[in-house]
Amino acid sequence: MKQQDSGSTNLNRRQLLLGGGALFGGLALGAGLTGCGGPAQAAAGDIRFWHLLSGGDGIKMQAMIDRANAEEAAFKVKPTVLAWGAPYYTKLAMASAGGRPPEVAVMHAARVPGYAPGGLLDAWDLNLLAEFGVRPEDFSPRIWEKSQFNGQVYSLALDSHPFVMLYNTEVAGKAGVLGTDGRLMDISSPDQFLEVSRELQRVTGKHGLSYGYLGDGAQMWRLFYTLYRQHGADFVLDPGKPAQVERDVAIDCLEFITSLLDNTIATKSGDGGTAVAEFASQGSGILFTGVWELPTMKTAGVPLGAATIPTLFGTPAAFADSHSFVLPHQARADEAKRRGVYRFVASMLKGSLSWAEAGHIPAFQPVVRSSEYAALKPQADYAHAADIINYDPEAWFTGSGSDFQSYFAENVQNVFLGRDKATAGWDAFISRINTVLAMPNPV
Amino acid sequence: MSTVRIPAPTGESAPGLSEPAPAALPAKTSPGQRSGARLVRPRSRRDNIHGWAFSAPFLAFFLIFLVWPMISGAYMSLTGKSLTGANSGFIGLANYAEAFGDSDMWRSLGNTLYFTLISTVPLVVIALALAALVNMGLPAQWLWRLSFFSPFLLASTVISLFFAWMYNPELGLFNDVLVKLGIPPVAWLNDPAVAMWAVVIATVWWTVGFNFLLYLAALQNIPQQHYEAASIDGAGGWRQFFSISLPQLGPTTVMIAILQILASLKVFDQIYQMTEGGPGGTTRSIVQYIFEAGFTGYRLGYSAAISYIFFGLILLIALVQVFITRKRSV
Repeated sequence: MKQQDSGSTNLNRRQLLLGGGALFGGLALGAGLTGCGGPAQAAAGDIRFWHLLSGGDGIKMQAMIDRANAEEAAFKVKPTVLAWGAPYYTKLAMASAGGRPPEVAVMHAARVPGYAPGGLLDAWDLNLLAEFGVRPEDFSPRIWEKSQFNGQVYSLALDSHPFVMLYNTEVAGKAGVLGTDGRLMDISSPDQFLEVSRELQRVTGKHGLSYGYLGDGAQMWRLFYTLYRQHGADFVLDPGKPAQVERDVAIDCLEFITSLLDNTIATKSGDGGTAVAEFASQGSGILFTGVWELPTMKTAGVPLGAATIPTLFGTPAAFADSHSFVLPHQARADEAKRRGVYRFVASMLKGSLSWAEAGHIPAFQPVVRSSEYAALKPQADYAHAADIINYDPEAWFTGSGSDFQSYFAENVQNVFLGRDKATAGWDAFISRINTVLAMPNPV
Repeated sequence: MSTVRIPAPTGESAPGLSEPAPAALPAKTSPGQRSGARLVRPRSRRDNIHGWAFSAPFLAFFLIFLVWPMISGAYMSLTGKSLTGANSGFIGLANYAEAFGDSDMWRSLGNTLYFTLISTVPLVVIALALAALVNMGLPAQWLWRLSFFSPFLLASTVISLFFAWMYNPELGLFNDVLVKLGIPPVAWLNDPAVAMWAVVIATVWWTVGFNFLLYLAALQNIPQQHYEAASIDGAGGWRQFFSISLPQLGPTTVMIAILQILASLKVFDQIYQMTEGGPGGTTRSIVQYIFEAGFTGYRLGYSAAISYIFFGLILLIALVQVFITRKRSV
C-alpha cells in the first residue's frame, strides 16, 4: 500500500564497491573509520534530510523538495525516507547520539520532548529564521507553543494533522442528516451521534461508521484522546509521580467507543485497511481517520465532506500531531549548510499549500489565510481544527508511534473488542504508565 | 557405562600429536634458528604466519563484531546507559535485579518458550511427513520440492504481509473460507487465544521447506537394500517407515530439532510485523522486549541485562541438548 519514494538516497553499484573497499582497507590498516563517511556521506553541497512520509504524502513531499532545490543553487537537499514509527525514531536518536545525523529531519512535534532534553536536537535561531521570512506570529498559538521546550524553539511545524471525521454526502443526504448548507448536521451529544450513525447504517445496509483500530495503538489513542479532551479533562504525566488523570471520564469515553463497535454502527473487527476500504466503497457514511486519508477518498470518488469530530461532551477538541522540522544535533555543524537548511525550511513552509492538498492543515498562517487555501475543499472546512488541537500529554515516552500508544493498545484493545471491562483496561494502562513514570528518565 | 577410549594403533597416531621423523629436520630448518633451541617443525613458523594471515579477516570480524560487542554488552548491562548518550554510570547488578522482578520480561520469555514449543513440533513432524511423501516416489518430484521449499526463500516482511491480509477479519481469505463452511469468523491476530497460533501457522508455512529438504536428503541416503530386504521379509510400507526410515533419520531429527529450537527462540520479525506483540502483549517475544527496552525505551543498560539473561537461557538449553545427544551416542 505504501510506496517508497523514488528520490531517496540510493546506493549505486560503484558507491557500494567503493564503500566496501574503504571498509576492508580500514580494517586491514587497523585504522578506525572516523572521518570516512563511506557511501552514506553526501557531497559537500548536499543537505541530508530524513523524513518519514511515504505513500501519497511521500510523493507530495518529494515534489516540494524538488521545487525547493530548483530555487536554491548552493545546496541540494537529498532526502532519505524511512518507515515511520519506532524504526524512524530509533535511527534518528542513534544518529544524533553519534553526532553525525542528517542536517535536517522531520519529527512529530509530540516526540520532541523525548529528544530535546537529551541534547539530541539543536534549537532554531529565531533571528536567522526571521531573515528568511519566518516569524513566530506566522504560526497559530497552539502550534507555536508546542514548538518550544524550556523556552527555546526546537521544532518548526509544517502542518497539524488532526484526527477528523470524513463523511459521505450522498449517504448522509439519503439518511436525512445533512444540514441546509449541504454539510453534516450539528451533532452535540453521544446519543445523537449514535442515532445519526444508525440512520447512516440504514442507508448503506452495512455500517454507519468506519473506524479501523485493531492492532493499531495510534488509532485507538487518537479517538480516545479526542473524546477525553472534549470533557475538558487533563492528562498530566510528570516523571517521578503517578499519572494525573480523570478516571471516570476515561472510562466513560472507553465505554462510549465500545458502544459504537456493536457490529451495526461499526464493526468490532475493523483494522485500518478495512475501514478505509469500507468507506471508499460506500459501505459506511462516516470515517474516523487522520486528515492524511483525504487524497485516497478523493481518488476513490467518494462524495466527500469533512469536519472535526463532533463535540459530544461540551468542549471542542481534536487529537493532532504536527510534522515538524528539527535540527538533529551535529557534533560539528557546518554554518554554511545550516543557512542552507534555514532557507530550505522557509521555502517548504511558504510552499505548504501543496502540502495542504495531502489533507494536512498548513502551520504557516499566511498560507492558511490565502484565497487558494479557502478554495481547497473539503480541507478548508476543518482548518479551524488548528485552534482546538491537542497533542499527546508531554513526556519523554509519548507522541506519535511511541511506546505510550503501544501500552494503550495493549490494555484497551480488549475493552473495544468487548472482552474486558473498561475499568480493568484503563487501570492496567495507567498502572503500566505509572511504572514508566517511576523509572529514571533516560533522556 | 563409561566411554572406552581405544588407543590409536601404532604408527597411525593422529596428525599433529607426534613429532615427524627427525631425519627430515636438518635440511629444512630455517637459517635464522637459534642453535640449541627446542626442535621446531619445519616451516611451522611460516605456516603459522600464513595461517594467521588467512584467518585474519575472519578473526578481525569475529573480534570486532562478536567478541567486542559481547564484552561491551556485558559491561553495559551493569550500567544505566541510555540510547540518547546519557550514561548514568556503573550500577552493579541493579538491572538484573530489576529484570528478575519484571513481569513483562517473564511474560515475553514465556511467550517465546511457548512459541518455540508449538512451532518446533509441527516444523519437525510436518517436514518429516512431507519428505516421506515426496520420497515415496511421487511423480514430478521437482515440483513438490520446489513448492515446499520456495516459501523459505521469501523475506519475513513478505510473508507477514501475505498472512496479515489472509488473516484480516473482514476481508481475509481464511475467514472467507470459514464463513462459507458455516464456521464463525476468527479474529486471527486479535484474539489473545488465537494470535500465537496464527503466527505459528504462518511460520510453519514459511520455514518448513528447509527442514523438509534436510529430511529428504537424509531419506534418500538410506540404502535401498534395507527396504528390499525388509519387503522380502514381508514388511509393509508403514512397518518399513517405522523400523527403517525413522531410526535411520535419528541423527537428522536431532539436528533439525536443535536448529529449529534455536531459530524459534530468536523469533522476532514475523511477530513484530503481524501483531507487534499484541493483542495485549500475548505474542511479544523476548527479542522484541529487548528491542523495546533498548531502542524505543532508550534503556540500553537494562536491555543488555535482559539480553544476557536470555543468553544464559539459550546456553542452558544448548547444554541440556549436548548432554542428551552425548548420552544417545554412547
